[in-house]
Amino acid sequence: MTEKSSSSPAVAGRGPIIDFMDPRQWHSGMTAKEGFWLEARSVDGSSVTLSPEPVKEGRRLTIPQGCQATLIEKNESMRPEPYTTQSKWEIILTEGSKLNHYKLVHEGPEATHHSFLEVDVRKSASFQSHVFLFEGAQIRNTIHVRMTGEDADCLLEGLYVGSGKRVIENHTLVDHQKPRGTSRELYKGILDGQSRGVFDGLVIVQKEAQKTDSAQTNRNLLLSTEAKAVSNPELKIFANDVKCKHGSTIGQIDAAQLFYMRSRGVPLAEARRLLVYAFASEMINQVEVPALREILFPCLNLATSIKK
Amino acid sequence: MLDIQNLQANVGDKQILRGITLKINKGEVHAIMGPNGSGKSTLANVLAGREGYTVTGGSVTFEGKPLLDRAPEDRAAEGIFLAFQYPVEIPGVSNSYFMKTALNAVRKHNGQPELDAMDFLKLIKEKAKLVEIPEPMLSRAVNEGFSGGEKKRNEILQMAILEPKLCLLDETDSGLDIDALQIVAKGINALRSPDRAFIVVTHYQRLLNYVQPDYVHVLSAGRIVKSGGKDLALELEKKGYGWLEEAKVAAR
Repeated sequence: MTEKSSSSPAVAGRGPIIDFMDPRQWHSGMTAKEGFWLEARSVDGSSVTLSPEPVKEGRRLTIPQGCQATLIEKNESMRPEPYTTQSKWEIILTEGSKLNHYKLVHEGPEATHHSFLEVDVRKSASFQSHVFLFEGAQIRNTIHVRMTGEDADCLLEGLYVGSGKRVIENHTLVDHQKPRGTSRELYKGILDGQSRGVFDGLVIVQKEAQKTDSAQTNRNLLLSTEAKAVSNPELKIFANDVKCKHGSTIGQIDAAQLFYMRSRGVPLAEARRLLVYAFASEMINQVEVPALREILFPCLNLATSIKK
Repeated sequence: MLDIQNLQANVGDKQILRGITLKINKGEVHAIMGPNGSGKSTLANVLAGREGYTVTGGSVTFEGKPLLDRAPEDRAAEGIFLAFQYPVEIPGVSNSYFMKTALNAVRKHNGQPELDAMDFLKLIKEKAKLVEIPEPMLSRAVNEGFSGGEKKRNEILQMAILEPKLCLLDETDSGLDIDALQIVAKGINALRSPDRAFIVVTHYQRLLNYVQPDYVHVLSAGRIVKSGGKDLALELEKKGYGWLEEAKVAAR
C-alpha cells in the first residue's frame, strides 16, 4: 500500500492548499494515521480505540458488536508528476455495529488512484459510504458490499467530478444474502472537458434475501459536449418478495434554470457554478463531520474551476 | 424609457410578432391583452432576452441604448425584470442565497457596493412582509415545492428586492385565487413609482381591477390592433376578443 504525506508545496495554478493533515480541522477524538482518521464509540457512548490489522496490500478493520465508528480516508497530493496510489480495505461490521466511511480523492493532475473496499455487513449492522472523487488523472473506485446478516443496512453515495481528460470509474456491488436488508445507492457525476465518468453498479438479491428493499440511482451532469458519461445500473433478483428499483439520468444544465437566474442579473458563469453546486451540495450536505463538509466545498470549487 | 419599433420575432420557424411599435415612459403602467397565441408572452420574453426567440426585424432601445444584443443578465442589471408566467424551480439553491447573489451582481454592475449577509437579511425580511412570504420560505430552495400562489408571490418579492426600472409581468395573475391575487396586486402597487414602468401581460381583465393601467393594448396575431385607456379592458371583458379580430379582418 502506498500512501503519501500531504505536506507538499503548492503547485502553481492549483489554488489554495487545503491542509488535510491539520488535526484541528477534525473534531476531537479522531486519530490521524497515515492518511486516515478513525473514531469509534461503544454502545454506552464511551470512546473505543480500534486498530486495523495489516493484510496483504491493505488493511482489515473489524467493528465490534454494537460499536459506532467513523472512518475518514483521504488520498491527497499536489504532486505534478505521474504516480500511482492504492487503497485497499476489508471491513467487517459485526452484529448491530455501524460505520460511516468517508473517502476523499484529491490527487495530483497525473496521478492514478485505485481504491478497493470489501465490506461484510452482518446482522442488523449498518454501513454507510460517502465517496468524493475530485482530482487525479485516473480514478477507479471499487466497493463490494456483502449483506451477510439479516436486517443489514447499507448506503452508498458517491460524487465524482471530471475535467480535462480525467477518467473516473465506479464499480459497486451490493449482494443481499439474507432477509430484510435495505440498501440505498446514489452516485452523481459532474463531467466537464473531455472527461469520462463510468458508473457500473450491480445489486444482487439472493434467493434467501426475501423482503429486501433496494434502490439504486446514478445521475450525471455533462458540462461540455466532449464529456462522456457511461451508466450501467444492474439488478439481479433471485428472490420473489422484494422491493427494488434502479435508474439513471444523463443530462446538461437546465436551460430554463439558467435563464431564470440570468434574468435576475446573475452572470452566466456564476449561474452555471451555482447550478453545479446545487447538483453536488445534496451529497456534501449529507456529510456528518462538519470539518470535512467545510473542506469538501472548496475542493469541489477547485475541481470544477479547472477548465479543459 | 422603452422604445419598441416595428419588432418582429420568431419562435423556431414560426413568426409570432409581426411588427410591434410601443413607447413606454417612466411611471406608466401598460397592460397588454389579447387572445392565446397573440404574442403577449413572446413580447415579454423577447424583451427579457430568453433563448429560442429570434428577432427578425425592428429595434428596441431601453433608456436610449439598443437592448436586443445584450445578454439577459445585462438587461436585468440595467433594470429590466421579468416576472415569469411559470417560475422555475431550482433545487439545491436557497431562495435567499439566490437573491443575494442576484442583487449583488446587479449592484456590482452598477458600481454600487455589495450588501453583506446581515444587511441583505434585513432587506429580504422587510420585503418578504410586503408579499406575506413567511421567513422559512426564504431558506427553502428557489420555488421548490411552492404552491402556484407562493411562486407568484416569490416573483414579486424578487422584483421588490431588485427594484427594477421596468417590470414585465407575464400572466402573473394566472392560476391565482382571489386572496393570492390581492396579495400580488398589493405588492405590485407598492412598487409603483414615478420612476418605474410596468408592462402587465394578461389574458383577463381581473388583475387590472387591482392594478389600474394607464394604457391598454390589444394584441392579435402579433400586432397591436387597438390601444386605449383602462376602459378598453372593461370593454374587452364584456365583448371578448372576437370583435377586434373581426374588425381587423374587415379592415384588410
